[in-house]
Amino acid sequence: MDKKPLLEVKGLKTYFHTDDGIVKAVDGVSFEVYSGETLGIVGESGCGKSVTSLSVMRLLDEKGEIAGGEILFDGKDIRALSDEEMRKMRGNDMAMIFQEPMTALNPVYTIGDQITEAILLHQDVDKETARKMAIDMLRKVGIPEPEKRVDEYPHELSGGMRQRAMIAMSLSCNPKLLFADEPTTALDVTIQAQILELMLELQKEYGMAIVMITHDLGVIAEMAERVVVMYAGKVVEYADVVTLFKDPKHPYTWGLMNAIPRLDEDKDVLYNIPGVVPDPLDFPKGCRFNTRCPLATDKCRTEEPPLVEIEPGHKAACWHIDRLVEMVKVSRAGEGA
Amino acid sequence: MSQSENRKPILRVDNLVKYFPVRAGVFRRVVAHVKAVDNISLEVYEKETLGLVGESGCGKTTAGMTILRLHEPTSGRIIMNDEDTTHLFMPYFQARKYLINTYVKPFEDLKEKAGSVDSAIKSIEDEFDVKMAKLYFEKHNGSKSSFISDLMSDREAKRKAFRRQSQIIFQDPYSSLNPRMRIKNIIAEGAIIHKVASRSEVMARVADILKKVGLSEDHMSRFPHEFSGGQRQRIGIARALILNPHLIVADEAVSALDVSIQAQILNLLNDLQEEFGLTYLFIAHDLAVVRHVSRRVAVMYLGKMVEVASKTELFENPLHPYTVSLMSAIPIPDPTKKSKRIILQGDVPSPINPPSGCRFHPRCPIAKEVCAKEEPPLQDLGNGHKVACFFPGEMKR
Repeated sequence: MDKKPLLEVKGLKTYFHTDDGIVKAVDGVSFEVYSGETLGIVGESGCGKSVTSLSVMRLLDEKGEIAGGEILFDGKDIRALSDEEMRKMRGNDMAMIFQEPMTALNPVYTIGDQITEAILLHQDVDKETARKMAIDMLRKVGIPEPEKRVDEYPHELSGGMRQRAMIAMSLSCNPKLLFADEPTTALDVTIQAQILELMLELQKEYGMAIVMITHDLGVIAEMAERVVVMYAGKVVEYADVVTLFKDPKHPYTWGLMNAIPRLDEDKDVLYNIPGVVPDPLDFPKGCRFNTRCPLATDKCRTEEPPLVEIEPGHKAACWHIDRLVEMVKVSRAGEGA
Repeated sequence: MSQSENRKPILRVDNLVKYFPVRAGVFRRVVAHVKAVDNISLEVYEKETLGLVGESGCGKTTAGMTILRLHEPTSGRIIMNDEDTTHLFMPYFQARKYLINTYVKPFEDLKEKAGSVDSAIKSIEDEFDVKMAKLYFEKHNGSKSSFISDLMSDREAKRKAFRRQSQIIFQDPYSSLNPRMRIKNIIAEGAIIHKVASRSEVMARVADILKKVGLSEDHMSRFPHEFSGGQRQRIGIARALILNPHLIVADEAVSALDVSIQAQILNLLNDLQEEFGLTYLFIAHDLAVVRHVSRRVAVMYLGKMVEVASKTELFENPLHPYTVSLMSAIPIPDPTKKSKRIILQGDVPSPINPPSGCRFHPRCPIAKEVCAKEEPPLQDLGNGHKVACFFPGEMKR
């Protein structure tokens, strides 16, 4: 890939200063997003996937701090921008949709007010045009009777409709990059299917790049072209979606894929990833997955594995990539236990 | 499955209805009803897992709670271990009325129609009703008062027995454990209330069960906040197991957990089922999870049962358009298997004012005129595959 990436994140470190100590929520994360593509970020709760997107948008609260690394958007260093410049960028160049549309929308303003607010901030139009644009946008995201709905409050809409309104708002200024943070997790599957379909359609129409953040491997397989797998604030594997699902190299990725029940095949026993996600205040030394990894050796407990390129476009951070076959045996041995 | 016909249902639910009143105005008058569960019937056989699946608001949780009498059913009959338990939880006069309307009156009518007691009993098809008819006509010689006083005797003891035999695991392991109680007391509470053993025996059993669910004796004196979500769910499971129940209702037991923890809990539930011969009513919205744990699966939509079948039958040959669309809507974690999805239009309608006829018809891609007018009955199409649709199997993936 010799195209220039739209977004380049290099060695991003985001730390939170809490009363109990420093939480290294994101600790040296690198990835690129190219124009018009969908990048998936997958991981369990607490792996730092949401914090990554908030860092790029510079939406961290006062406890959070970008402690290191570079974030380049279109070649511009985001960390160097003033708050004013950053505000111009948000909404215009990059936008975000959240998991829970009810909490992300302001309950005391109508849908129309909230969409026109974004338009008025970023575009040189009068109120009336902005309102028309908002109605058009609502129609585009498949909200029936947009002329009426534009004057309704968030609580008057169903969960699926609210998410559509969120999408309308985030796309109203035609951003180049859209962060979607678990956009369908709170929705029912039939509504999830509608929203995913809508996002694909809008991506075709507007050509924006999407960073899809989710814990659902199904959604990743369906939507993403390339995937970042995160664990405990680190990228453990990075590959295109077909390679990742066919040939995962990191024991965590492998475990995750074998831990989920599938709709299209029967599994006698699900693979048990033993233990729990480590405490972010006290991540294990060396490889952060070593406490839960059946392949872990002394090296894993002392030295941190770098994210290395195994084959073009496929990176993994593990000392024992060649021993992954043993995982299959381990999971068999675990059967019935 | 023919196998299931031979097995004994441990739980049988007939025509269960649960409406919640909607109150409004100064006088809190009832202005409408939320028809959460509207006439569903199901059986759960011994040592099997019945998966109850549907989207939010379809009434699956209400069904589970009503079966356990954590909600009072509006109407319907709940039979557990071949005993009618419906009247056990009603106020006295309501229970009497229920018994008269369900058993005494129909039996008397039958006797009159058939001419004799024997032919009346013969004309009853349902095995359980035959048993009740025999109880009424033979044991109590057709005496209403003696039949009723027999069934109304020892209600307290029977209620307790029901509570012992049926337990629940909740979705949210954070809100379902009392934060001010120690783990041992949380788990032991049921056993102590039901006085199944002395306190020291109960504590020994708590320690034993903690090991069974993958925790250790050292955890007994801790508080819930010291545990992770997965561990808390294990505590919830231990609490459900302490009374040696027959039936466990698992209400979205793994939905709040991360993928890797979810697998641990699902495997644990499987192991425990084998070890203790448990029967699960597994309520969930995730079809893949339901497929993994269940032997049979029931699909609900807006308070109605739309399809029931064995797992293999349901996943290989779904007949109801809703089941078909639900399956096709779920993203498969395999990028090479991108299938064309059926995207349902619109949202799930409100259960306060459900659509006429088949409740799925406004969203159904193959709905015809009749679907808006008449309600399709849940019909058995063989092999225990039941479906409530006028055009079963006409919609393909």
